[in-house]
Amino acid sequence: MAGRERLTRASHSGLPEWLGRPGPSAYHRLNPLTKATLATVTAVAAVALGGLVGPALLVIGAVLIPAVAAGVLGRLLRLSLLLALPIAISAFLVNLFFFPGGRTELLRIGPIVATAEGLGFALEILARILAISGAVTLFYLTTRPSDLVLDLERRGVSPRIGFVANASVQAVPAMVERAVQITAAQRARGLDTEGSPLRRARGILPIVGPVILGSIAEVEERTMALEARAFGRPGRRTLLWAPHDTAAEGVVRWLLLAGLLVLVVARLAGVGP
Amino acid sequence: MVIRWTAALVAFLAVVAVGFVGFGDFGTGIDPDNFFDTEGANSFALIGAIGLVVAFVAYAAVEYAQTGAFASITSQFGTRTIVLMPIAVAINIILGATVANALKLPVYLDSIGTILVGVLAGPIAGALTGALSNVLWTYVLPPPFQSGPAAAFAIVAAVIGVIAGLVGRMGWLRPRPNRPMAQLGVGAVVTVGVVAGMAYLAYLGWTSPAFGGEVDFSVEGSDAIFTVLGWLVLAIVALTVIGLLYMLFVRRDLTATYVVIAGLATGIVAALISAPISANVFGGVTGAGTDFLVAALRQAGADIGAATLGQGLISDPVDKITTFFVVYLILAAMATRTKARFPQGERLIESGRDPSVEEGEWRGASG
Amino acid sequence: MSLALRGVGYRYPGVAVPALLDVDLHLGSGEVVGVTGASESGKTTLCLVVSGLAPRVVGGRIRGTITLDGESVDDWPMHRLAGRVGIGFQDPTSQLSQVAVTVFEEVAFGPMNLGVARDAIVERTWEALGTLRIEGLAERDPRRLSGGQQQLVAMAGLLAMRPAHLVLDEPTAQLDPAGTRLVAEAVERLAEGGASILITEQKTDLLASVADRVVVLRDGRFALDGPTDEVLADPRLIELGVREPAPLRLRRLAATAGVDPALLQPAADA
Repeated sequence: MAGRERLTRASHSGLPEWLGRPGPSAYHRLNPLTKATLATVTAVAAVALGGLVGPALLVIGAVLIPAVAAGVLGRLLRLSLLLALPIAISAFLVNLFFFPGGRTELLRIGPIVATAEGLGFALEILARILAISGAVTLFYLTTRPSDLVLDLERRGVSPRIGFVANASVQAVPAMVERAVQITAAQRARGLDTEGSPLRRARGILPIVGPVILGSIAEVEERTMALEARAFGRPGRRTLLWAPHDTAAEGVVRWLLLAGLLVLVVARLAGVGP
Repeated sequence: MVIRWTAALVAFLAVVAVGFVGFGDFGTGIDPDNFFDTEGANSFALIGAIGLVVAFVAYAAVEYAQTGAFASITSQFGTRTIVLMPIAVAINIILGATVANALKLPVYLDSIGTILVGVLAGPIAGALTGALSNVLWTYVLPPPFQSGPAAAFAIVAAVIGVIAGLVGRMGWLRPRPNRPMAQLGVGAVVTVGVVAGMAYLAYLGWTSPAFGGEVDFSVEGSDAIFTVLGWLVLAIVALTVIGLLYMLFVRRDLTATYVVIAGLATGIVAALISAPISANVFGGVTGAGTDFLVAALRQAGADIGAATLGQGLISDPVDKITTFFVVYLILAAMATRTKARFPQGERLIESGRDPSVEEGEWRGASG
Repeated sequence: MSLALRGVGYRYPGVAVPALLDVDLHLGSGEVVGVTGASESGKTTLCLVVSGLAPRVVGGRIRGTITLDGESVDDWPMHRLAGRVGIGFQDPTSQLSQVAVTVFEEVAFGPMNLGVARDAIVERTWEALGTLRIEGLAERDPRRLSGGQQQLVAMAGLLAMRPAHLVLDEPTAQLDPAGTRLVAEAVERLAEGGASILITEQKTDLLASVADRVVVLRDGRFALDGPTDEVLADPRLIELGVREPAPLRLRRLAATAGVDPALLQPAADA
């Protein structure tokens, strides 16, 4: 018993090695800012390039290949398709049928005509959307938001910004959880959230009112709790750890941004297709 | 300080000058072969908004060069504002995702939190809340809350936050109950005029030939919570009009008119900025309920730029008036002493003397 | 190590009636002072004033003097006071920092804000977790704990700032009996370690077991003040809106029902 006691005590000192546990792949272990830069550059470049070929190459080079390297291809495909689906369907239908100046008729349903020009344009928009959603999902799957925030704080961004970003990410699921709890409680009290639209609408107000106002009412206590823990102290705070970064990654980030700037300026100046 | 502001001003003027001279051919048609060339930059509002962002970056860059940190932007916010912002972001995203994913209404309702923070804590806090909401919405949150297009509209959200901050600073949302009939009459004419005008525009959009019922954008894959929340939104939009009129005629609260004007102005600016982004980045289609309107306008012969602008000018004022109204209700539900502690809180409550500010031996906080 | 209030009164912003009046209170090393009273009697206000949150964060007006080891704290900013007087609240979840993904980082949040050196933070964090015997939770996500566990994590977060004085505002109000027991044990251990503790409770059972002294508030003033046994046995307790601890209540009810209180003795002590 005494031996076991000592053993547990021994592991309960020093900086825990599991803090900021590194990710499973080399891509995961890239600095969060590098991954964020890559996602943003890919998304903006897909828009700036336009057409079909550019965004398609970006999807392969900047999304699919890194996803394979990171071992997240399956989840990436599932999530980014889920994310892109509503826009993709809308974009496809609207452009296919309502593209102005479309002359080559493919299909006619009543007064609505699908045109080849519309189809071409719809495909271009689709490629762009897939590039954006893929880049964003890859970032999401390989980076913890709190790591990015810590990294930015180390670089001089105010911890107060970091707090807002981190707390926002936590606040969304917390608020949904609160909504689910209140819904369950109201149902238990006989509130009807099924049935006709009017009845549902009437049943909703007692749920969302408390969710929003309850969250706002918490502001006071949260403010006091933070102030009581010296959150209001000016100046830098001590960080326990920060994500790993290398000089080479810094160069890559600047090159990516410079490349993007050149691309955008060139496109604005009318270069390219 | 002076150098930072000078840098920001120079950057803003440079962007505006280059934008207007180089690309500011507002109103020319779209070139179907190149969706990036002219149309993307020919909205004056978008150029102005980009100028603001570049000015902000210039300010921050100079500050970083001087001090090695970006502190002044946030050190001006108290902890209370900092705590409210994440909650506002969550309200934005949850309601916005509900409307966009489940309900397919031609409104957004994704800026209630932004406007709440702007009104209570000022333009910069509002801008940060708006921009952060949209960026997180795209980059950080898991489905079903994630939204691909949101980040591209971060600049719009920031400008909405700035306008809300100014509206709060001017004291527009201060309650004005029991006003004389003459004032209420003017208020009623303005309010009813704006509402009727928008209803007519929306009617034009909905009854255009594109809607024969053939295209079915049914609600897909919506979670139960979205459906539940979705009906609320529908109710809110309808209740806004009733609520505004109730405010005006029963409570005799003239602020209803200020709510309508603030919403209208915010909506028009938001439409001007977002239309070029929507047209150029997403071909006018973002997977939300607003796509109906774009389709309708294009069927009527408008090009992408005109269709997205038309959609914006129909959707945004309705959306922002509803939002300002909801924010006014939230403010009314908050305790006066809670509101008063926010930076602009004093401008949101009926003026009156604080009974506790007197007598020598009672003292406030120092240090 | 002592914290003293002399003739302290406090008014919330926009409210003319004082929430606290003529309060004299002394908190010495290792002392546990219980505060009770009906709702709205000023328990929470007293906590806010002692911790310095009122008026620094809450606003409002104050009078009288508050001293730490004889030095007036009037000009101290909140973050300076935060390192000396810790305060915990009822709701365990709203006390979480919202930015920590592990209990370890949650507990380290306060010392990090204070700008303490990293090695010292690590040491303080393990010590605070050890004092409350929750080292095993270090790696867990603080949002995924039970209410009682979260309350202990919040207390550990206060301890890691090494305050000489702790203020706990109804720490068990939202906890189940198991959570209440965890908190009660923690309070006893902290007092043994030399911290002075001001703890408010509506339920007097906890105070009976942990407090050395109890004060009862009515309308912002001290109505009763004395050793725990005397105050909790005081017949005026009921008219002050406070329920005496269960064993005492049982004896009183037995007496009014004509049962010999001596018969209840073994059960009451158990």
